[in-house]
Amino acid sequence: MSERQYRTDISSVDVLPQVRLVDVSKRFGQVLANDGISLSIMPGRIKALLGENGAGKSTLMAMLAGRFPPDGGHIEVEGRRVDFASPREAIAAGIGMVYQHFMLVENMTVAENVLLGQEGGFVLHPAAMRKQVGELAQRFGLGIDPGARVGDLSMGERQRVEILKLLYRESHVLIFDEPTAVLTPVEAESLFSALRTMSGQGKAIVFISHKLEEVLSLADEIAILRRGRIEGEFLASDVASPADLARRMVGRDVVLDIERNAVDQGRQVLAVRHLSGHGLDDVSFDLHRGEILAIVGVAGNGQQQLVEVVCGLERPESGEVNVLGQDWAKFFQSRDWKGALAWIPEDRAGLATCRGLSLTDNLLLTTRQGFAQGQWLERSRARGATTDIVREHNVQPGNIEAQAWQLSGGNLQKFVLGRELYREPRLMVAEQPTQGLDVSATEAVWQRLLEARKTAGVLLVTGDLTEALTLADRVAVMFRGRVMGLFPVTDTAQVERIGSLMAGLKD
Amino acid sequence: MLLQIRKREESLGWGVLVVYLGALALALGVCAVLLTLYGRPGLGGLAILFRGAFGQSYSLLDGLVKAIPIFLCSLGVALSFRMQIWNIGAEGQFALGAVGATFMALSFPGLPGIALMPLMFLAAMLAGGAWGLIPAVLRLKLGVSEIISSLMLNYIGILVLEFLVFGVWKDPASFGFPMTAEFTSGGQIARMGPTLGLALGKLHWGLLACPLAGVAYSVFLSRTRLGFELAACGEGERVARYAQLPYGFLVLLVMGLGGALAGLAGSIESSAILGRLQPTVMVGYGYTAIVVAWLARLKPWPIAFTSFLLASLRVGVEVMELELQVPAAFGQIMEGGILLCVIAGQFFLSYSVSLKRPLSETPPIAKEERA
Amino acid sequence: MSPELIVALLAAAVQAAAPILFATLGEMISEKAGVLNLGVEGVMAIAAFAAFITCHTTGSAVLGLLAGGFAGALLCGLHSLVCQVFLGNQVVSGLALTIFGVGLSNFLGTPYVGQGTAGFHQIALPLLSDIPVLGAIFFRQDSMVYLAYFAPVAVWFFLNRTSLGLGLRATGEMPAAAAAAGLNPQRLRALGVMGGGFLCGLGGAYLSLAHTHLWTTGLSGGRGWVAVALVIFAFWRPGRAVIGAFLFGGVMAFQLRLQASGTNVPSSLLLMLPYALTVIVLVFSAARAKYLKTGRSAAPAALGVNIEPEG
Repeated sequence: MSERQYRTDISSVDVLPQVRLVDVSKRFGQVLANDGISLSIMPGRIKALLGENGAGKSTLMAMLAGRFPPDGGHIEVEGRRVDFASPREAIAAGIGMVYQHFMLVENMTVAENVLLGQEGGFVLHPAAMRKQVGELAQRFGLGIDPGARVGDLSMGERQRVEILKLLYRESHVLIFDEPTAVLTPVEAESLFSALRTMSGQGKAIVFISHKLEEVLSLADEIAILRRGRIEGEFLASDVASPADLARRMVGRDVVLDIERNAVDQGRQVLAVRHLSGHGLDDVSFDLHRGEILAIVGVAGNGQQQLVEVVCGLERPESGEVNVLGQDWAKFFQSRDWKGALAWIPEDRAGLATCRGLSLTDNLLLTTRQGFAQGQWLERSRARGATTDIVREHNVQPGNIEAQAWQLSGGNLQKFVLGRELYREPRLMVAEQPTQGLDVSATEAVWQRLLEARKTAGVLLVTGDLTEALTLADRVAVMFRGRVMGLFPVTDTAQVERIGSLMAGLKD
Repeated sequence: MLLQIRKREESLGWGVLVVYLGALALALGVCAVLLTLYGRPGLGGLAILFRGAFGQSYSLLDGLVKAIPIFLCSLGVALSFRMQIWNIGAEGQFALGAVGATFMALSFPGLPGIALMPLMFLAAMLAGGAWGLIPAVLRLKLGVSEIISSLMLNYIGILVLEFLVFGVWKDPASFGFPMTAEFTSGGQIARMGPTLGLALGKLHWGLLACPLAGVAYSVFLSRTRLGFELAACGEGERVARYAQLPYGFLVLLVMGLGGALAGLAGSIESSAILGRLQPTVMVGYGYTAIVVAWLARLKPWPIAFTSFLLASLRVGVEVMELELQVPAAFGQIMEGGILLCVIAGQFFLSYSVSLKRPLSETPPIAKEERA
Repeated sequence: MSPELIVALLAAAVQAAAPILFATLGEMISEKAGVLNLGVEGVMAIAAFAAFITCHTTGSAVLGLLAGGFAGALLCGLHSLVCQVFLGNQVVSGLALTIFGVGLSNFLGTPYVGQGTAGFHQIALPLLSDIPVLGAIFFRQDSMVYLAYFAPVAVWFFLNRTSLGLGLRATGEMPAAAAAAGLNPQRLRALGVMGGGFLCGLGGAYLSLAHTHLWTTGLSGGRGWVAVALVIFAFWRPGRAVIGAFLFGGVMAFQLRLQASGTNVPSSLLLMLPYALTVIVLVFSAARAKYLKTGRSAAPAALGVNIEPEG
């Protein structure tokens, strides 16, 4: 086994690591998700695990949480080797995880969620439970109503419940997976100060992120994970700037500097005027061929409802929506498959494709009118088109009979994009198109979206500000169903205020 | 966990056959044990079963005859199962079909077969189809579980049949036995044997309905746009909304067609086998059809094969009843047991199971293996 | 109809409601844990036979009851095995279980058709049975019915006031959350399915031990399906299950009385009543849920979804 020489000044103090990963490896079929990872997690320090999606972060954390064992290497807690047979053992060893998608039962109260699985006797006393959890919340300054139903809480509040769970268990190691993905910048700040407090109290904190500024502002130590291996580990104080960090991440200057050529603006493809209802509040904007308009904001502030109206799933309650020159009702009455509207939804596996169907069948999903003569389906022609798309967009594996579930996220997204571009749309709606994709897939998707401007107007809904600012001509910030600001990307003053706009602070 | 369970990346190929045969063997083994518990020879009983089912040419013919209604019902069930719409109502739709056909047969006894038969079939398919539409409408408009509603309609449908047969349609000449008057010759499906000059037992011209229905089913699903949309809807309503699939229409279509097919089966059975309507026309083909559809993974040729197989098992059980005094319920045990074993066996089609090596023995992952 | 007849009818309704209530509560527990069990009909049939044969051979009704409960739990264990270990489709597995269970019950029971057994008898509770009207309806029943009075409370308490019940409910809503909390969702599900199966078995046992005191085929008569429908009607709450069970008990008792009284109404139509009522009950529940538009379904979020193995 290779012995990598890390900067040893991290573990130079005679303090025992709370948790140590020793040469941990994990394989899934052909994919080697983690490859000989060695890492020390020290008490009282905040370590950031930085890496792109697909680098193996989630697998590593899942093993720490006890969900499955490593195929190679082992884990040590307080110097002793442990083999977790279940999450229960990991929790008992003091390891606590806050997942990106919260592990909370929506139909139960905060108190019930915090005390789920905890020792406390056979019989429950709800009033006592609420009191107990309320006191814990008070102690750590996490304001929350213990009797509230979790399903009614905001994302920031739900995260507080997750933290409460860890605090109740007196976890020594707190691991956060992309903690700010669903928070406004203001909520993120309050989370950071809470984390610093806990770290000051001796807890070991690990957080996984791919946001460079966040990592620099919060972490004491940074480890870079790339393709299943630790590419580097160093103190945050040694890093000069986000660009420096990015270089260390990729090993070369960041490629995510896409070439944006200017494209002439064409005719209007979408006009939304005073759209209200369904959680939307007086939304107005228009979109022309040749431009990309990015809708940014924390998830759950009306973006989904907006997409549903624009894509014809929900009727606009009040206000006007004009799609490709036609009134909403008229446009969605007769659905042309070609030269019209294409939607790339956020849920590529569950919505955009049918997991049990072949790629050819998935092509037919939105293009079937183009391959049908009356009721007869020309499958052979469809197979030909699928082969072309697979080749042109570099979809792996190249077998058109493969079923959708067999494709990785990146390849599936490339396929979906290829399919929708095949329809030669004039209006394209793309939701979180690069979520969960690695660098190369992200680049590919970005290039296609930029190219699409030549023939279409693109409405890009994304929570990734980098993506928005890289691709878009104009940006609209949404909060609670309202457009808080709409401005060109070149307006740096406004761009700097995006954070506050996302949190609903107008001025 | 000692076992490592992984999702399969490639299909098993011939392994599929092994899995199914294994499941079948397990189920039959359990049945043999039950036979011995009952005081009958276990393996011997199974031998009689197989001899009865496949031993003679007339048992094969008998199996074919029984396979006809099972096959038709099963096609209907498979159509809706493809959409993950659980149509359990084939039994009741079968009953209503028989009722519809009887209505025509009793109302127009004078008509020649060439006119009466199509009328009977049409009425049967309309009645069965309507019966199938009820759960469909309830599901679409109100979200009522089609499983329970179609099942309740089974019970109600059979009671409707009994109500008519005990009541208005009762044959005065039947000495109190619940049955309608015998259909006229125009209303009875003829046996194939006499016309062809061959000894074909009870095999009747209703057999022709099967290849017709089978081909229609096959072509519909693989060649037509609606058939494709149906398969895509099986993934769920959300995808249907995204791709603008006519989900509601398809729910009505599959339940209506399923009901029509089961109704057709009912009319064929009452017309060809009994020549009249009696409560004994209900022998549980509707439920067997569900077992067949699932075993055959909803594909047309496997449905045909499995229909014949389960029909033959029924024939075999009849022989067991005669020779060993085994209760008829044994057939149900077999069907239920086979289905359970096959469901469990289907696990191995999608997942591979291997022994996990203890961690301490895990060899280091060699440098060359890294992607 | 004279008051005595009404009282007698209501008392019969209570008695008829008892097995349905047990079956409904049993299915409710299973569904609360996330497993849909459509095999209740088969479970009740098997349990009825197991109870009968045990009581017939040992003479003890209590032993028969327990036998019925355990038979139910065992058969549901089969469902649990197929769905949890072999990831079988819950709907189809349940159907297979029904076919198998009903068949097995009829098969094993054939030699005993028409034979009687000791079973439970009515016990008039002291003092309580003397209350006018109510005493005659509720307190002159057999011990199973008295047990049925406690069952909903016990089930409610188990689900909502014990940590095991909390874990079980979490498994039915979001197994991943239960796992992340250190619980074992598969084990909790199995507990729910088999515990629920025990209750369903008690309901089935009642059919042969108290309802008729003899063995015939088809004892369950669709009650298992009614139970599944009633869980929906009860919005997965034990308290409401009582209303539903009593409703069905009433209809069944009414239908029997009517048939026995030699009415002109054809028996086929009368027999349709419980099944038609089931559909009506479902329609009513669905319409109510739609009307209330709470946006959240009362059903456990992970109901019917198998837990896939990881890593």
